[in-house]
Formats: sequence, C-alpha cells, structure tokens
Amino acid sequence: MSLKQIYLDHAAATPMDERVLDAMRPYFDTHFYNPSSPYAPAVQVRHEYEEAKALLAGTFGAKGDEIVITAGATESINLALSGVTGHVVSSAIEHHAVLAAVGRHEHTLVAPTEKGIITPEAIAAAITPNTEIVTIQLANNEIGTIQPLRDIATIIETERNRRAEAGESTPLHFHTDASQGFGQIDVHIARLGVDMLTLNSGKMYGPKQVGLLWLKAGVSVLPLILGGGQERGLRNGTENVAGVMGFSKAAQLAEKHTKSEANRLRELRDNLQITLQKTFSDMVVSGHPKKRLPGSLHVAFPGLDGERLVFRLESRGVLVATGSACAANKGTRSHVLKSIGLGNAEADGSLRLTLGKLSTKEIIQEAARIISEEVQAEYKRIGDA
Amino acid sequence: MKKVFVGMSGGVDSSLTAALLVEQGYEVTGVYMKNWTQDLPGMRCPWADDLADAKRVAVQLGIDFRVFDFENEYRDKVVQYMIDEYKSGHTPNPDIMCNQEVKFKLFLETALEQGADMIATGHYAQTNNGKLLLALDGNKDQTYFLYRVEQSALEKTLFPLGEFTKPQVRTMAKERGLATASKKDSQGICFVGQIGIREFLGQYVQTKPGKIIDLSSKNVVGKHDGAIFYTLGQRHGLNVGGGLPYYVVGKDMEKNEVYVSTNLNTESLWQENITLQSTHWINEEPREGQTYALRIRHRAPLVNCTYSQGMLQLEESQRAITPGQSTVLYDGKICLGGGIVV
Repeated sequence: MSLKQIYLDHAAATPMDERVLDAMRPYFDTHFYNPSSPYAPAVQVRHEYEEAKALLAGTFGAKGDEIVITAGATESINLALSGVTGHVVSSAIEHHAVLAAVGRHEHTLVAPTEKGIITPEAIAAAITPNTEIVTIQLANNEIGTIQPLRDIATIIETERNRRAEAGESTPLHFHTDASQGFGQIDVHIARLGVDMLTLNSGKMYGPKQVGLLWLKAGVSVLPLILGGGQERGLRNGTENVAGVMGFSKAAQLAEKHTKSEANRLRELRDNLQITLQKTFSDMVVSGHPKKRLPGSLHVAFPGLDGERLVFRLESRGVLVATGSACAANKGTRSHVLKSIGLGNAEADGSLRLTLGKLSTKEIIQEAARIISEEVQAEYKRIGDA
Repeated sequence: MKKVFVGMSGGVDSSLTAALLVEQGYEVTGVYMKNWTQDLPGMRCPWADDLADAKRVAVQLGIDFRVFDFENEYRDKVVQYMIDEYKSGHTPNPDIMCNQEVKFKLFLETALEQGADMIATGHYAQTNNGKLLLALDGNKDQTYFLYRVEQSALEKTLFPLGEFTKPQVRTMAKERGLATASKKDSQGICFVGQIGIREFLGQYVQTKPGKIIDLSSKNVVGKHDGAIFYTLGQRHGLNVGGGLPYYVVGKDMEKNEVYVSTNLNTESLWQENITLQSTHWINEEPREGQTYALRIRHRAPLVNCTYSQGMLQLEESQRAITPGQSTVLYDGKICLGGGIVV
C-alpha cells in the first residue's frame, strides 16, 4: 500500500534540492582532496571551498572569513557562548541547545509575551553591567514567532554606549540563533544588528550536520574542538568540503527566492489556518498572527492528545509534529507553550504544522481535509467514551 | 461492557492482545508501563520508541491509552532484588519478580483503581477460574514466569494469546495491519538483554577478577572477571581456551572462585531431588506423594517428579539445577506454582 505522503514538518528537516546534491557530489569522489594539502588539485579544492564560504556568507551580508563552519546549529551556539565569563541574557523560548549552553553561565531568561514576542523592554530590564552576551532566536521553532532583533540591538547599543561613557570594559555582544527562518524572511546581519549569528544547513534545504557561526570582527570565542588550525583555529578538523558546498548552494537558492517563497507559503498557511478554523471554532492558534514565519502554523485542539493526532495523521500519510520534536520525544510539555501561558489542555492537544518547498496548493488542501477528518474523528472518539 | 486494561509494551504480542480484545467486544484501554528508561554502556534503552509504538497501535485500534509510571517501584522491587541475588551468588530471574510485583500486582491494582474490571497481557499462558494453564504453543509457553502470580490476580486476568502459536500471532498482527506486526521480538529479560547483564551489574556491583579452577584436577585453568557473572551449568563466556568445553559446576562467592569441569556427568551438575524455598502455590499446595511434572527453567522439558515433604523427587536426574532459580510444578496443563531452588 503506497500512501501519498504529505510532509508538514519543514521546521524539523528539509529535503535537499537536486542542485544542492549536484554541488556536493564531486567532493566525495573526483574532488576528494584535503584542502590543506599542497599539490594543485587540493589547492583547487581549497579555492573552491573558500569561494563557497564567501558566497554562503554573502547571502546574509557577511564575508567568508568571518564565518566558522561547524557541525550544525547546536555546535555553533555552544561556540558562540564558549568565551563567556559573566552574565548571559536569553529568552525562555529558545531552543534546547541555547537553553543548555546558557545554563552553564550566570543567566537571566526573559519571558515572552503571550504572543511569543521577546520585547526590547524586557531585554533592557534583564541586562546587568556584567552581561556579556544577549542571545535571542530569530524565529521560534515551535510557534514561528519572529523576534524584534533590530529593536533589541538598539537596546544593546544603548548599554554599550553607557558602558563606554562609564569607563566599564565588559564587552557586550548580541548573538542570534537563526536556525529557523532563512529563506522565509530577511536574514541580513546589518539589518538585524547582531554580532554573532548561527545558521543550520539542515533546516534550509542543505545537508545535515553542517552549520555556521558568523562572528563580527572583534568578537572572540574559545574553540571547542582543538586541532590543526582549520577555520581560523576556531573549529579544528579537516573541512567538511562537500557539506559546505551543499550548504552554500542551498543558502544561495533560498536567499534568492525569499520574497516569493514567503508570499507563497503565507497564502498556503493562511488558507490552511482558515479552513481549520472554520471547522473547529475552538481551535487555538499560537504565536503572533502577523510576526510569524510564513510557513509556520501552531494549532491546538483543546481536550485532544496531540501525539494521538500525529499517529492518526501518520496513518493517512500526513507527517506533522507535536510542539517541538525534541520535547515530544521526551514526553514532557513544551517549555515554549508553557512560557506563552498556553493551558495544559491546549498544549497537550497541539500540532506544529510547518510548510515549505514540498507544500503545494493541492497538497495543503488535501492536508486540510485529512487533518479535519482526523481531528473530528478523535473528538468523536473521546465524546463517545 | 467489561473494561479491560491491556499492558502494551510496544511489541507484537501485546499489540495483538489489545486488537483481539477490541474484536471480542471489550472496552479496552492500552497501558504502557514505564518501568525502566536507563541506558547502559553500549546499550540504548528503547523505552521511548516502545512507548511510541504502543501508542501508535492504540491509536490505530481507536482505544484509550495511558502511561503508568512504575519506575520507582520497579527499581525497588525488581532491580534491587536482582542485584541482591547476584551478590549472593545466585542467578535470579527478574521476569518472575516483575510479574509478581509489577504486572500482576501494581498494574492490576492501578488499573482497578482507574475503573478497569480486568487486565490483560500478551503472555503465552491461559487462565480459567483463577487457575493458570499452559499455553497451547508449548514452545512459547510463559507460565514459568507467572508461577508467583496470585490466584486473585489471575481471576481478573485475560491472556488472549494462550490459544495461539507465535507464528499465528505474527500472521494475525499482519492481517490486521498492526504497526508492530513485523517488529523484532525483544530479547532476553525485562530490561537488560542477555548481553547487557554484565554492563548492568557493573553499574551496581564492584567486581574483581578471580580464579577459574578445574574441580577434578584442582588446577587453575583460567581467570574470570567476577564470580557474580557465572551461572551453574553455563558453558559459554568462560575465558578458558582449548580442549573440551568447560562447564560451571560451582562457585564460592567469598573466595571469588568459579569451579568448572569438562565432565558433563560430573555429580555436581546432575541431581535427583530439588528442595524449594519461598514456595508459592497459586491455588493450593501440592498433595503428598502425588506425581507431578516440573520445569527447572523457561522452556525446559517437563520432567516427572513426586512431591513429598516439601521435596521434589525426580524420575530422572537433571542437569544444572541452579540454586536461586525457580522450579515450577505442573499437574497436567495446570501450573500449580513453585519455588526457589535451595
């Protein structure tokens, strides 16, 4: 029995484009050389690697030698925080990678509004003279809320100026985990006003286990992995050439089509939301209605069990998540939903639907139909009991 | 409609159990018992996957599903028992303890509190009026693990798989399209596969190397990494090279010595009587002088014996009757209970 698959979990993993795969392929066989080797074919690979990094960095307004290639966002985040000796400000709705890394330091976690926004005022109130890093995600991986990074950057600039005037020497930097959102919203370091930025290839149609940390000139971190001096000595180990080729290609493709893809996804997402809202009047949509990733839809069906819905939908070929994948696996309630004040009945009955490249109009209409049927069936089941 | 809570482990047996009960018209609730979640060195505990599989099948069947968290009780009653037994030189059976203390006590009690009329599990066994009976599939029969269950518990228990063979169960699960139909059987004991026992004990018990001594020649023939790991009659896992295979014929926990022999007929391996302690008789005590059948380990052939003054006189002597392990007594198809070999 072959079921047509409907994938609605682009926030968890994204499929690679044929063009991305093509960009990677030669570096597994014909161009397999170690970029550190001295002979011509290896030097050629070195050049191609550096060029790919420059193009990758260029997609968000940075230079190739300002980025450190890592094995994914979790590592980038850990690296970003590696040099901290003082206080860190972050938010209560960050990804587990950030929360865990921040947890090693003296820290303050800022609570979001009930729409899931981290306000600049809350950040201002949390910053102490000892704060060295503020780390706030670009967009939330569960509810899709887009954070006002630019306004937070202004707050940070104000604090920096105060310190300069007061003759205080504690540095203050602004890091963002931009794992979610690339290719759906504008990601540009100058416009965001950040000093450090984390990207995850696996969430933007590139290969998994590749990520990057961009560091503004003058920002220092301590390498987590020591060795032969690769990536300016900040991330040692032979370069993941094929991975970077794929990451770079994926970033360029995504960046080029950001606007049109955002519009396309927003329309599909809004249609899906409206269709479901028409059928289920007490459905709760979490996150900010406008400041939300165009492909992101977090819905709650009070009284239902989200995990049951996931299995029901799975049997119909529709792949969705409950809350965030990590939280669901641990059998604990999502810290994000708790932070925005969603009640247990809502949190337990929630689904995270994230649209992306695999979402077409037909597919989303079909998804809306199947989700409606299965949610209705589940309401009927518990109603009958 | 009778309410039945089914223990669902995420395996094919308990999945089909739930499916059959639904078909028989019971109001079924699936329950995953969360007993053990800890990874051991080199061994990932698959509990989260198993829980997801159990729930997936429950959703497929359209039944309620709950998780009973027995981790603390399991640690106290089963894991601690296991460690203590190993320390005293025995090779305990945690499945028997798990059935006695967790599945047919704690699970039953909790299920009844939450509105169940009965419980069910995917064991290969049969019940009738509080009696425990052999499963139809002699090859899969699990009554050995169930001999310490109380009559009052059996009166409230269903074993729907008792009348089927394992291949039939696989086929029936496939016919119903159950998500777990082709899932591999979990192996070994409750929470540590046979391979994991060393790693498990290593977490709790300090072990040190000792001598392996040939009982007939009194020569030291090898070294072991802890007498605790060796079981009477065991052949595998001895780091003794060359020649005929050695069998464990005894051990001294104080001296940390393991005694072996190449002679399969060595007296210390073959016995004609069994004395039991901590006996548990499900319905009533066996009758004096009566002939019964017994089994000294799971899937061991049934051997005739006579019950007399708490002792079992075997018709033919048996190899490797191991102190600390259970011997279970049968009267025809009925499992009477049993005890721990002294």
